[in-house]
Amino acid sequence: MGAMHPILSEAASGFFRNQDSFLEDIKENLIAGRASVVKLLTEQALRRGVPPEVIVEESLLDAMKEVNRCFSARIMAIPDVLLSSRALHAGLYVLKPYLTAAGVGVNRGRVLIGTVAGDLHDIGKRLVAIMMESKGFEVIDMGIDVPPEEFVRGVNVHNPDIVAMSALLTTTMGSMKTTIDLLTESNLRRRVKVIIGGGPVTQEFAQDIGADAYGYDAVSGAQIAVSMMDQMPHVGPSDTS
Amino acid sequence: MRSNYQVNATVRFAMLSENQLEEIHYATLEVLEGTGVNVFDEEALHLFKKGGAFVEGNRVRIPSALVERALRTVPSRVVLYGRDGSPRVFLEDHKFHFGPGPTNNFTFDVFTKERRKPRKEDVARAAILCDALPNIDYAMDLGTPSDVTPELADVHAFEALLLNTTKPIVHWAFDVQGYRLMVEMAATVAGSLEELKKRPFICLYSEPSSPLQHSREAISKLLFMAKNRLPTVYTPCVMAGATSPATMAATIVIANSECLAGLVASQLACEGAPFIMGGVVSIMDMSSTILSYGAPELSLAQAGLTELGHYYKIPVFGTAGCTDAKTLEPQAAIEAALSIMLAAESGANLVHDVGYLEFASTGSEPLLVMADEIIGMVKRITRGIEVNGETLAVDVIHRVGPGGHYLGEDHTYRHFRSETWMPELMDRSRYEEWATKGKKTMGERVIEKARRLLLEHKPEPLPDDVVARVKSIVERAEAEFRAQKAS
Repeated sequence: MGAMHPILSEAASGFFRNQDSFLEDIKENLIAGRASVVKLLTEQALRRGVPPEVIVEESLLDAMKEVNRCFSARIMAIPDVLLSSRALHAGLYVLKPYLTAAGVGVNRGRVLIGTVAGDLHDIGKRLVAIMMESKGFEVIDMGIDVPPEEFVRGVNVHNPDIVAMSALLTTTMGSMKTTIDLLTESNLRRRVKVIIGGGPVTQEFAQDIGADAYGYDAVSGAQIAVSMMDQMPHVGPSDTS
Repeated sequence: MRSNYQVNATVRFAMLSENQLEEIHYATLEVLEGTGVNVFDEEALHLFKKGGAFVEGNRVRIPSALVERALRTVPSRVVLYGRDGSPRVFLEDHKFHFGPGPTNNFTFDVFTKERRKPRKEDVARAAILCDALPNIDYAMDLGTPSDVTPELADVHAFEALLLNTTKPIVHWAFDVQGYRLMVEMAATVAGSLEELKKRPFICLYSEPSSPLQHSREAISKLLFMAKNRLPTVYTPCVMAGATSPATMAATIVIANSECLAGLVASQLACEGAPFIMGGVVSIMDMSSTILSYGAPELSLAQAGLTELGHYYKIPVFGTAGCTDAKTLEPQAAIEAALSIMLAAESGANLVHDVGYLEFASTGSEPLLVMADEIIGMVKRITRGIEVNGETLAVDVIHRVGPGGHYLGEDHTYRHFRSETWMPELMDRSRYEEWATKGKKTMGERVIEKARRLLLEHKPEPLPDDVVARVKSIVERAEAEFRAQKAS
């Protein structure tokens, strides 16, 4: 799809555009993963009076739907999704002040993610973060070897909708339960949904330790997070029942 | 600056040494000069005699000098064009190309999943699949049609191929008359015989009868192509232990002697005529008595003959992607994959019989489709590992450092597509996804793809008037055949 997309300089010179051409260009460049072009076009569109909500709905989210479709159809691969995701967040970064002012929720939700204590495995968790970001989530990555106390602190500080935990070792899986237990003790468990995943983790294990869901891979994890948010009443994270 | 730096741009494969190849060459010369071959065609006998061979009855003893002269005049390369006139298949050096095989007695129907007699429409289907599959470079019939005049099955199959693919066509005929008709049909498509000679998109093969016999049909077809300066394959079919000694070396000597006798005839008929050597060189299985299409010795002997072809600088007809299995089961996958790998690594130029089940008795559309995927994997392996500053990426490793990740690096984005082969049929999904999608095995996925290609792929059609003229040639052949039969 390379050649037909406007390059940076062309985008910069694009003055006499109508709204539709902006929306279409942003979408195309987002799909092509051109973060700087998306950022520039989004700024221009705002200056030309395109409403921020329209940019989010008709360019950014629409484009990411297409990206996810292409990924499922194996037309795009993980690095493509990552680039598009970066472009999405470049656009969202520009729009954020306007959208907050207008009271529109930009993000699908906030996810706190980490690999549990004793486990240094990073890449699986990163993939989940990439796929979640591609779905419009704001992802706070706590990194690897995250002890239960850190997860609890993270929930207090960042107020996420979802806590996502990863483990690749059978020896570290137990820390997922410890973390959930500590969230319960700290009266935070009801404020968040908990999703877990990783090589040795199973659906049964998720049920046993009281997690809300299990994702067998990055895509399923992100999809589950989306359906979790869809089921959540949009009245604020502290009010989940 | 640095000196003495060597690069392997591809995987390297070598079996026989230069000395061993020379030894096989001398053994072949000794067979041709000492034992001789039987030739059952007057024109060929006359050519051999005139050229300096010793002819007694049908026995032709060919002096080494005659063979070595032919080796000097035969072109080192043959280019096969598409039906549209674009160069497609370069039969030179170690460049490999894969295609199906011809003349199977049965076909496996992907729609009904039955083994049945092939029909003319099956040949069209084989052509459509070849046209659609990216790793299949040329078309063959994958079954002799049984629903047409049996004596003209070759011509009908050729018509079906001609109308359903733009890729080069490798085909056969019962006799010279069949060759004449096919060359006429191909010339009609090309515009003229001259155009066809300039950019040949067909290649016709004939077979000597092992050991060391050349039937009238085989050699007269060979001479017809040579005199027309059109590419031809002369392909022995040798069964080690039965039509050649049990040893691989001797089996290669028999196959090579048959090829070189054909080569001498072709060069005597027309110096510089394009010629492709090779064949099916395998064992007779001493339990079942079949000529095995899945034996390791097939791949081994083929690789030996291929290396001999490279030694001579003559394009090589290889055999791979075939099996003795009766259906698309693990045996088929094992035998097809190993033979494709070895054919590619040895660098056989025109590798045929991809899609053969049941030691060539059944042509299989699903096996052809599965082999396309195998060839994709083999091509990736063959490309080897590129080593330079950009691919070593020490700067990227330094920047990311321990504990980081490479998913977001430009370097990853620049290289992941060209560095990794993306499977289409190989299933790499997680258990849950695989289960959700119906727990399909490779066999099921292959059949689905074959069906989809057959329903969706539309090869570029020939202009209506050309189609009409091609069909009229077949109709004329039918009429002539009926008249001949009546008289």
